[in-house]
Amino acid sequence: MPSVTTSTSAFYERSALDLTALRVQMGEVQKQIATGNRLANDADDPLAASRLRNLSRADTLAKVDAASAGRATADLNLTDSAMTEMINTLQRARELANQAATGTLSNQQRVSIGNELGQLRGNLVALANARDSAGNALFGGDAPGDAYTLDAATGAVSYVGIGSAGTLSLGDGQSVKRSLTGPEFLSFSSGGSATDVFAAMKAITDAISAGGTAAQSAAGAALTTLDDAITSVSTGQTVVGARLSWIDLNTQRQTTMSEARANEQQVLGTTDIATAYTHLQELATVLQASQASFTKISGLSLFALMS
Amino acid sequence: MASDLLSIARSGVKAARIQLDLTAQNIANASSQGYVRRSATTEEVMTPGYLTHNRDVSLSGVRIAGITRNADAFRQGEVRRTGADTARADAEVAGLEDIQAALSDSGVYDAITGFESTLQQLSQDPTNTPLRAAVIASAQTMTNSFNIAAAQLDAVAAGQQSGAADGVMQVNTLSGELAKVNGRLSRLADAQTDRAGLLDQRDLLLQKLSGYADIATSFATDGSVSVTLGGTSGAPLVTGLVAQTLTATTAADGTISYAVGGGTVALAAGSLSGQQQVLARLATVHGDLDRLADSVVRTVNTAQAQGTALNGSPGAPLLSGTTAGAMGMATTSGAAIATAGAGAAPNSRDISNLIAMRGALTAANPAGAMDTLLYQSSSAVKASTTTRAALKTISDAASTALSAQSGVDLDTEAINLTRYQQAFQASGRVMQVAGTLFDAILAIR
Repeated sequence: MPSVTTSTSAFYERSALDLTALRVQMGEVQKQIATGNRLANDADDPLAASRLRNLSRADTLAKVDAASAGRATADLNLTDSAMTEMINTLQRARELANQAATGTLSNQQRVSIGNELGQLRGNLVALANARDSAGNALFGGDAPGDAYTLDAATGAVSYVGIGSAGTLSLGDGQSVKRSLTGPEFLSFSSGGSATDVFAAMKAITDAISAGGTAAQSAAGAALTTLDDAITSVSTGQTVVGARLSWIDLNTQRQTTMSEARANEQQVLGTTDIATAYTHLQELATVLQASQASFTKISGLSLFALMS
Repeated sequence: MASDLLSIARSGVKAARIQLDLTAQNIANASSQGYVRRSATTEEVMTPGYLTHNRDVSLSGVRIAGITRNADAFRQGEVRRTGADTARADAEVAGLEDIQAALSDSGVYDAITGFESTLQQLSQDPTNTPLRAAVIASAQTMTNSFNIAAAQLDAVAAGQQSGAADGVMQVNTLSGELAKVNGRLSRLADAQTDRAGLLDQRDLLLQKLSGYADIATSFATDGSVSVTLGGTSGAPLVTGLVAQTLTATTAADGTISYAVGGGTVALAAGSLSGQQQVLARLATVHGDLDRLADSVVRTVNTAQAQGTALNGSPGAPLLSGTTAGAMGMATTSGAAIATAGAGAAPNSRDISNLIAMRGALTAANPAGAMDTLLYQSSSAVKASTTTRAALKTISDAASTALSAQSGVDLDTEAINLTRYQQAFQASGRVMQVAGTLFDAILAIR
């Protein structure tokens, strides 16, 4: 009759393996609790590990995009404030032109208006050469130096910028131009001919300084030109405002997406402490029971009972 | 009467004595590796009657017919076969885990992401020196991590190759020993205890051998064994007293192949087979990593060549090398990064070439390729771990079945001890009675 027996050495070897395996399992659960990572090793759950890698990569790239959005906002704010100053300057010039257009001027008044108009033009040139957050020309496109140069001899102002305003990426294929180039808002057409603010201001200054009846009529015509100039700069400001709200929208979207990513990372990768601790308790109970039963069985020996 | 009470009792005492010795031997060797439980078979002795007294009672006691080893050849064969499968799975899991650790611990994936993010950052202010320096630093980190990954993979390969070389040496030692045991077995007579010990040794050597490679055995009547490596259709390793030599040859790409006595042999199980599989996979992984490194270098350098550096000169190569181990920086100057388009002025803030470089890198998708590589290797580890658990269960069951039959159980031996002690005492008592009877006859006057 075949009987099922077990050899003594096999019993001890199996007991040793079982107890060691239980301890190893408990060690793994304890490591999960201590580090907070559900996955000690990629091989525990390859798909989740791959997803976590991709999420952390998206986080890294999103940080750079957030910094870019901050830069773009700073530059556009600088653009906006420079344009506001320009509009104020042009308003003052219009006041002076208005003054010159009404009634005759004495020599002194003519000279002082001409001087102030010259100063205002100088301010406009300085504003047009404003710097952005990195210290480069704000309205000069890709130019390494200034956007506008003033020829000391002729007094003409010319645009020396290159290319168009820089584009910053906001992530997910969205981008925004960080500024405007000078000609985009300082050059306009008035009365059928194209001109820019500086040329217009020079013409007005020259006409008023020349004096005589021509000065009064020139000042009157200058009012229309200056109105067109103010309109052009205001339009530029509107564009800047639209871009700022575009950046806002994108930032909101990026925040929502980063929250979704953080949520997914937590679900996939972090240990649920309650579950892990319960599992640890269960393993501890099993280990205790195994140790007790091993002690009991190994203590039973027929040799001990034989006298 | 042909029977003799005294000699019958004497044969009983001798038989009980031998059985007690065997029980003691079993108890002493309960933990010896490869020891098979011995038991003695006894048979009745019948002496024939002599001329004209053929019908007489002819009882002559008991004799020990032989010492049996309680080991079933089929169960032992099963233990060898399943043990070889488990050994192969163990070697595979260990090797694949090493490969996966080499790829993920070197941080190649994070380094690629870091490089791409510093390029993205540079578009905020392309002429800024610290931002350019950050790009160079992250590129250096990336090339370093590729170098580390390649070096780690090479170290894993070296480890596997030396493990295989050691295994080959062990196989040759074991087959040499088997040949010697075969020689001794063919010279021994039947039913001696020495023979049982030699058979135990033979089986132990076969079991150790099956840990390294899959073998097929055929036993002769005198107990000697012929071993074939690589299954029944493989190459003969041990035939009689002759043992062939197993050799391993390493190819240029790191894979190994085995040969016995000049002809190649394909091993399907055992740790040698596992190491061979790991090295084959390692060659593939290393090739993939090298291709990835080469594609990154070429993408970056091609984009560089289409742009202008900070000082207005045409873009020069930024990275060098065609393999992961040889990847390095061609220049460490941040001014060499060609962000502006072709023919741009010095210090231009044009980023058209930077955008093109980023676009080319996104299209080549090195991070995605690295992620695929990591995913494949970790899936391989997971799959082979599952396989190993299944194979281990099977081999454990086979070992349990074998040890149930051939292992020493101390309780059974204790019972046998009592039994044979009783038999010895009973036969001794019979001898005493025989003596008393003889005295009774002698006392008749």
